Amino acid sequence: MTSVVNDDLKNGSESELTEDQKRLLKYYSASQWTLIWWRFRRHRTAMIAASLLIVMALFGIFAEFVAPYGPTSRNTKYLDGAPQIPQFCDQNGCSMRPFIHGVSTKRDPVTLRAISVPDTNKRVYIEMCLEGEKTELLGFIPIKTHLFGLQDPKAKLHIWGTDDLGRDMFSRTIYATRTSLSIGVMGVFISFVLALIIGGTAGYFGGRTDMVIQRVTEVIRVVPIIPLYMGLAAAMPKEWSTTQIYFAMTLILGLFGWPTLARRIRSQLLSIRNEDYVVAARLAGAKPSRIIGQHMLPSFTSFIIVDLVISFPYMILSETALSFVGLGLRPPTVSWGVLLQQAQSIRVIEQTPWLFIPAVFVVVAVLAFTVIGDGLRDAADPYAEAK
Amino acid sequence: MLRFTLERLVGMVVTMALVSVMVFLIMELPPGDYADRYAFRKYSGTGVNVTEADIQAIRVDLGLDKPLVFRYFDWIGGIVLHGDFGQAFAFETSVLKVIGDKIWLTLGILFSTLIVTYMVSIPIGIYAAVRRASVADYGLTVFSYLGLALPNFLLALILLYFANKWFGADIGGLFSADYKDAPWSFAKAWDLFKHLWLPAFVLAWSAVAYQLQTVRATMSDEINKLAVTAARARGVPETKLLIKYPARLAINPVVSTIGFDVNRIFSELPIVAVVLGLTELGELLLRAYLDLDMYVAGAILLLLTFMIVFMNFISDLLLAWLDPRIKLGASS
Amino acid sequence: MDDMLKVENLSIAFRTDEGLIAPVQGVSFSVQKGKTLGLVGESGSGKSISTKALMRLLPGTAILGEDTKMTYRAKNGEIIDIEKLAPNSRKTRHLRGGEIGMIFQEPMASFSPVYTVGNQMMEAIRLHRDMNKKEAREFAIEMLDKVGISNPAQRIDQYAHEMSGGMRQRAMIALTLSAGPQLLIADEPTTALDVTIQAQVLELMSDLQRDLGMGMIFITHDLGVIAQIADEVAVMYLGTIVERGPTRDIIRDPKHPYTQGLLEAIPKLDSLTHRLSPVPGDIPSPHARPTGCPFHTRCTRKIEGVCDVKAPTEVDLGEGHAVACFLHADEGRHVA
Repeated sequence: MTSVVNDDLKNGSESELTEDQKRLLKYYSASQWTLIWWRFRRHRTAMIAASLLIVMALFGIFAEFVAPYGPTSRNTKYLDGAPQIPQFCDQNGCSMRPFIHGVSTKRDPVTLRAISVPDTNKRVYIEMCLEGEKTELLGFIPIKTHLFGLQDPKAKLHIWGTDDLGRDMFSRTIYATRTSLSIGVMGVFISFVLALIIGGTAGYFGGRTDMVIQRVTEVIRVVPIIPLYMGLAAAMPKEWSTTQIYFAMTLILGLFGWPTLARRIRSQLLSIRNEDYVVAARLAGAKPSRIIGQHMLPSFTSFIIVDLVISFPYMILSETALSFVGLGLRPPTVSWGVLLQQAQSIRVIEQTPWLFIPAVFVVVAVLAFTVIGDGLRDAADPYAEAK
Repeated sequence: MLRFTLERLVGMVVTMALVSVMVFLIMELPPGDYADRYAFRKYSGTGVNVTEADIQAIRVDLGLDKPLVFRYFDWIGGIVLHGDFGQAFAFETSVLKVIGDKIWLTLGILFSTLIVTYMVSIPIGIYAAVRRASVADYGLTVFSYLGLALPNFLLALILLYFANKWFGADIGGLFSADYKDAPWSFAKAWDLFKHLWLPAFVLAWSAVAYQLQTVRATMSDEINKLAVTAARARGVPETKLLIKYPARLAINPVVSTIGFDVNRIFSELPIVAVVLGLTELGELLLRAYLDLDMYVAGAILLLLTFMIVFMNFISDLLLAWLDPRIKLGASS
Repeated sequence: MDDMLKVENLSIAFRTDEGLIAPVQGVSFSVQKGKTLGLVGESGSGKSISTKALMRLLPGTAILGEDTKMTYRAKNGEIIDIEKLAPNSRKTRHLRGGEIGMIFQEPMASFSPVYTVGNQMMEAIRLHRDMNKKEAREFAIEMLDKVGISNPAQRIDQYAHEMSGGMRQRAMIALTLSAGPQLLIADEPTTALDVTIQAQVLELMSDLQRDLGMGMIFITHDLGVIAQIADEVAVMYLGTIVERGPTRDIIRDPKHPYTQGLLEAIPKLDSLTHRLSPVPGDIPSPHARPTGCPFHTRCTRKIEGVCDVKAPTEVDLGEGHAVACFLHADEGRHVA
């Protein structure tokens, strides 16, 4: 294939190249990462997944702006309230602007409990980018503007309903997205650093060092991971603050997430340990850390990236599972798992199915990471035929 | 073969020894020690004033004042020599009693899950590889994504919800109300069997998704091997050919990952058990963690890991028996 | 003529994602009882695919040409039209192995690694011969003995990976012959072997052929091997036969520039000073088949305006020697 192109190129100077030849020239002179990006871009499902994730991440990062209310703000007038779906029409006719119906409180004739009923005669209009609760964007930029909200500052909008304390599910889910994704990122980062050190040591030095590390790795791999995480999470003191627990959780997830990646790094290093260019670097007196970092790792960076992307789902699922059973993050922190804790019984799902919405986020995020991982793996495969 | 078996056995013992150290460290991890928690649980609210001296007495009594290494050997020695896993303070009895027949329930769940996993993934994986680009093949791809993305405990919740909605039945638990506390009988065993399919299905969910892909990939590889063409060129009938040559090899990676499957199942078990109300080791483990009843937790973690290591051993033996090339490698 | 197999106008196309490709186009040849036809060509010339078509072993994406005819006379005298057989019918299965046997280049990969040699032999024997288990085993041992494997009674329970390369290929020959074929297709059976073992295996094959009176199609890219074993040779290039004839004629007096090129690429002991001259260029991909004579892109003697426009027809030079080349268009009688 290359020879054909070279022949083609020899036949004329650059200015005379046909469109086809220019395309080929661009292809053959592109860097490895450009090629991977080109191939990845053609993978439509992976592109969709990537866009979804980016939107999710942006929502999480700018949660203060996107969410109309804080994660713990309560609307005592709307407990266990159903989602208020914005509408354009009701029995009183249609409007150009979306609105919801106002809420009025009545007493249940039987139990005499206060219940909220929509007042179909009262319209409250929805507006974009209006002022609402004061918060701090990213934790330090004070803002008042929110992405959307109700015109009437006294009324509150709950597009995904509220929980038993009257907290807005949409806002909570958006804040939870930030927590869950960031825990994933931190967990993956920590396990990556550990994998690099441990796998790098084992793969570079080989021999007895490798054998000892392999044994330890095997021990960690053989213990069921969630029960292991649970054991570590259970040891977190009750009096720890939410921040402490948050960081402890990332540490726990990262601390035991490295074996798979370390294995990959080790085997790759072992296979290129005696390549000429590595031996040359060693003879030139380079330090092991430099040989590994400068000469060896770049040859399989793309594989590492794929592995990193694929390990995200495990982090997210583990965090969700742990928080779900009360051994991970604790309220008032909100994460997908913490939110799902409220939806543990069928009774709850039956009466307030909207509490199950965070589960959709978990599934979508995990699916997206998996699809992107597959797309990247295909794109990073140097043998994949590209045109 | 004998040498191979012995080698693996020794490896198993070494791994278990290292695992026990790790489990012990986890048991020691929670702040405060066993004596503190014991005293707190026993005497709080009773009006008895517990002094530091009392706690120290408990400590000495239980041997908790010794250095870490000694405590480890006390603990592991008790397990190995007397089958004594220590005391479960939340239940005021021995760990062994608390665990009791839950270990058999756990094994029952484990094996029914494994059976479901292999009964589904092997034939369908093989079929999808033979009929490339068929409905089964596409269905498999979709399912293997979903199997990974939808965690078992959420699936369990969804199933419970729909069972309740459509049949008005609570399908959770391991026994019907009538049999819950009844002594073991044939009827109770049958009742258990009727309840096992749901946890088995839920737990098999992700294992199936994973194994389906493995089986399909290996089968697709094997089907194009020269040995298959050669056998076809000898006139071996197609169905027999597929079963005898490629399919026989396609189950090798499945056999070699039995340990991983057991690991995955046990990893997901505690949380699924909570949702489905299964009274077995996973659920007990979770409760022990929440109560910081660390002797119970440690014992269960050790038992679960032992089962995984043992299944790894079995899978090694099975594989050596299935694939004659392995024996050769081990003896030379 | 005593043709046991007659192939006329064999054309094979494959459906691929990039459209149809046609690796074999209008190939005709025949095999006589007790004789060996050598099929020579580089990889990609379509020689293996052609013989796979004879056993209906092509994948589902393959299409046979409409005027393709493959006539085979079975052991019981019945005439079988191979192209009309259903792919997995009883008749096809009998043809495979029982009438036509095939040995491949890689003896290691031809055996399943998880069954003993004996297991696979007994399977073939019981499929094609009316024998019970015990008889089949005895027969298998006998066959292993016949191909020169020492200690056959022990070897039969070994796996292929426990044997040496040469022994494996002997076992493969025994396995194929144990089903009792009268036509043997050998697809580069000696390529993967050491030269000394190569000679032994070749000798074994011609001995067995003589003893059993089998016809044989011997596929190779090595004209040196062909000289030792074949009675007739057909040289294939890009899915067509460019030259054919008695082995002696082809080796001594090759007519087609491609055959000449192949012969020059063989090292000779008597002219060590002479540099080897390989056939220039690469075989074109089946997606980009040249127009006109398929060989003109690499031919040193191509006639501009002729070879790249029109495909040459086969010219009969007498005594069975025929060539498809414009250089010899006036030397003989045109076929068809």
